[in-house]
Amino acid sequence: MMNPENIVFAPVVLPLLGAALAICGKAFFKGANTRRIEYTAAFIGLVLPWAALIYTLPLVFSGNPITGVIGNWNEGIGIMYRFDGLAWLVNLLGFAVGGAAWLYASGAGPRGSEFTSIFLIQTAALAATAMTADLFNLFVCLEVMGAASYVLVTYSKKPAAVLAAFSYLMVSAAAMIFFLIGLYGLYRITGVLSYQGLSEALRNLSGSESTTAIVSLSLITAAVAIRVAVMPLYGWLPDAHAMAPHAVSAVLSGVLIKTPLFALSRILVLMPQGAGAGELMGYAGAVTALVAVVIALSQKDAKRLLAYHSISQIGYVVCAWGAAIKIGVSTSLGLGLMTAAFLHALYHALFKGLLFITVGTTIDRTGSRDVYKLRGAISILRREGKEKFPVTFLCFLAGALAISAVPPFNGFASKTAITYALKGTWEYYFLTAAGIGTAASFIKLSRIYWPLKKEEAPQPPGQEAQGVTSFPALWGAELLLGLLCIASGLAAPAIYSLVTTLFAADGGITAGTVPAFYTLDNLIKTLVILVSGVAVFKLVDTGAGGTVLRVIRERPRSFQGLFMSFALGTATLAAWLLFYR
Amino acid sequence: MIERILLLIFFLIGFYAIIARKNIIKKIFGLTIINSAIVILFILESSSTGTGAPIMGEGIRNIVDPLPQALMLTAIVIGVCITALALAMAFRLYKAAGTFSIEEIRKALHDES
Repeated sequence: MMNPENIVFAPVVLPLLGAALAICGKAFFKGANTRRIEYTAAFIGLVLPWAALIYTLPLVFSGNPITGVIGNWNEGIGIMYRFDGLAWLVNLLGFAVGGAAWLYASGAGPRGSEFTSIFLIQTAALAATAMTADLFNLFVCLEVMGAASYVLVTYSKKPAAVLAAFSYLMVSAAAMIFFLIGLYGLYRITGVLSYQGLSEALRNLSGSESTTAIVSLSLITAAVAIRVAVMPLYGWLPDAHAMAPHAVSAVLSGVLIKTPLFALSRILVLMPQGAGAGELMGYAGAVTALVAVVIALSQKDAKRLLAYHSISQIGYVVCAWGAAIKIGVSTSLGLGLMTAAFLHALYHALFKGLLFITVGTTIDRTGSRDVYKLRGAISILRREGKEKFPVTFLCFLAGALAISAVPPFNGFASKTAITYALKGTWEYYFLTAAGIGTAASFIKLSRIYWPLKKEEAPQPPGQEAQGVTSFPALWGAELLLGLLCIASGLAAPAIYSLVTTLFAADGGITAGTVPAFYTLDNLIKTLVILVSGVAVFKLVDTGAGGTVLRVIRERPRSFQGLFMSFALGTATLAAWLLFYR
Repeated sequence: MIERILLLIFFLIGFYAIIARKNIIKKIFGLTIINSAIVILFILESSSTGTGAPIMGEGIRNIVDPLPQALMLTAIVIGVCITALALAMAFRLYKAAGTFSIEEIRKALHDES
């Protein structure tokens, strides 16, 4: 029973068990018993998997990934899985942010057995996506994850959230059908679906077959890239993430957009054409980081601003990730890049989760989402949110400083790791410019907490402030993520070395050295970025700056645009692989 | 070859519905149509690999490749779930905005917020 082949399924099976339990509790019991069962289910689904993760750490750490075929079927028929350092790390990310987000939801809503159940199904799908090594199984995992997330977005009672979820569903379900076409192409020329088998079969192809392989790979990559929300495939994200309940936004931005990316890296490192696809995605990532931050700076809805920042930060991750795939993850430079990419994905999950729930609490209590109008949130929180001590504000500050890469918060460490690995390339300058924009837009966002001027009357709480809120759970989630942001920043060298060792164990090479984070150069660079950020903020705060921002904010966006950009993205990728490489 | 051309037309009809029709119910139809087109494509492909049904027994030879059929059963189930979910959302949008037209829904919800 305790052999590792069974234990690695615990992060998938335990949340599913919890989901079933929560629904049964709702069906067969009433009142307090239902709630008790719901909490037990959440404990089983979100806390017990940690035991499995701790148990499997020594195995993956020593470079012995647990692989096999589910249900002991024959290879070629059954579904291959691979629980290695990558899967372990993605699980770590998912369960850390998932647990904190559920805790927040239990305090501030949405609540109830159905919510817990769907939340746990999503968590199970995340864990399954991380460890699958079969192309069709990846399709199933992504669809389950997607279906759960469409439902979770609609838990916000606003009709606009349903529209956002509907657009998200249409574009990502259509993209998954293109994924199936890609899968059809690969299956037709190779007759296998496991990554290992595909990688071997794709190495010796004739001319026309290799064209089929490239087009298929482009379709698969583009379909996954939609979930990751790289430019130009990002259109669904701002609405869905801004409209979702705050706890769900935290998981969507923190975990859901990164898991498909790291699952895709499994395919790309094995395929002969994968390096080219990774290279193009890396370039797209650098552009994404800069363009999205400019759009973020122009937003007036607080949560939409955060949603565009998620796109920008995923751009950082994709940029480093793509460069790593291009160079090859088993070289020392590629290993450094991949480690930096994951480190930023992990840290972004922590600080963006924190930002979403603190800003969410603030807009619930104050009833306003408008960055230009809302002021004096600290005093409103003290009055409406029973905060004698400004927990929410301080946690927001921790998140804002982390995303602006101020030491000793964790964002500083991961952005330093990325720029250290990318030094001397054009992407480096793009990411530095994006860093300035990030600092500027968080100065803009933090204005909601600035004290009121004397003549302005405090605003009445809005509709969202109604409803029962359990403050200890809410503050607990905020403090948990806030402390993690600081702790993981201080422990960055240790965490970097853990991540790099796990990736090195996957690639069968020795781990490289840990870059020095707190050097004088890095601190001076941070200072320069922050000062430039203040300057940019002053610039856009003027009349002319405001006009430019309004033009960016009110650019036309449409449903058709999502599909057009998908088609264009796929075609570009295929053309790039066919003609340029 | 003729089957593939028909399938391509079938697929394009569905894709046209998703992109060009304003009615969200028709968009959902479009999604179902492209899903069906892919299912038929897989089945068509696997049917050319043999003649018999893939049920193993005494004296059965030359069966078709069973894997695509298993995959497509799964894909059909997922497609049904997604369609049901999309229709439920369409219902909620209709209740909120009183119309199925995506543009009018967008306008109605935009004015509200």
